[in-house]
Amino acid sequence: MSFMRFCEWLSETQVSHYLREAPYPFPVLIIIHIITIAVFGGMVVMGNLRVLGRALRSVPVSQVIGQFRPWKWTAFGILLVSGTLLAASDPMEYRSNIMFWISNALLLVAGANALIFRFGAYRRVGEWDNAAEAPPAARRWAGLSLFLWIVLIFAGRAIAFF
Amino acid sequence: MFLAHILQAHPEALPLNPIARWEWVFPIVESIHICGFTLLVGSIVILDLRLLGICLRSQPISRIAKELSPWIWAGIALQLITGPYLFSGDPREYVQIAAFRNKMLFFALALIFHFTVIGVATRPSADSAPLGWRRPAALVSLGLWFCVLLAGLWIGNL
Repeated sequence: MSFMRFCEWLSETQVSHYLREAPYPFPVLIIIHIITIAVFGGMVVMGNLRVLGRALRSVPVSQVIGQFRPWKWTAFGILLVSGTLLAASDPMEYRSNIMFWISNALLLVAGANALIFRFGAYRRVGEWDNAAEAPPAARRWAGLSLFLWIVLIFAGRAIAFF
Repeated sequence: MFLAHILQAHPEALPLNPIARWEWVFPIVESIHICGFTLLVGSIVILDLRLLGICLRSQPISRIAKELSPWIWAGIALQLITGPYLFSGDPREYVQIAAFRNKMLFFALALIFHFTVIGVATRPSADSAPLGWRRPAALVSLGLWFCVLLAGLWIGNL
């Protein structure tokens, strides 16, 4: 089945019709999506700012990153489910929306960046756990992460504009 | 309300406002507004979780509060710039929306609560005391900020 066919099929399912036509599901999903960003995005931001030496400097890096991890994963799950349902509400519309694809690409890049940090510079966090700022390599990843998440917010908001 | 009066007094100035003139200005300023509340509410949630004894328990509360405070202020500053600017695009419309008025009310209450009750709860002299009343206080703070977000996001759906 081609992707085009898949989108056609999906938009004719009952779930998609319901999400698209009932008055409440769409705004409620958007509100859940953005409130989750607000509540847990702060943990991503503070983790990055800690590595950069700009926030919570007296708290060990591994505490800031490690203790927020379960919350961030929970939030990521909520964002994934609500985002997928939002996309499923009108697949034919989103498949031709450039900002939808840019947002998804940014999400993948930000995810890859986080994994590279986690299994790269972060593995030796014990050596700089209490330092006010992390070594340059770790700081570069944190700065890039911060930048990517901010761009993702702009791109995500722009989906509704295009 | 005061700002609405000023802007209503000069209706001829409204078409000159970039946010009313070009349709792409609104989503860009709104994106900055979203980054702002992520910073503001996100930092306050971390502080509230500490007051609930859930996160960063080995750190003194007053120190967490002190080290988050510049970012909370940065968030407030961003919101006080972008918020009124978004409002200036159509002040007459916004003042009539119940969700907008509720949001302003909750925002004022949340800020007052943060700088009074949470301010007292995060004083260094209380660091070694049990959490006690500070747990419910943190829940009230979380509830107030949640209401601000909910009412704010509802404005866009009307």
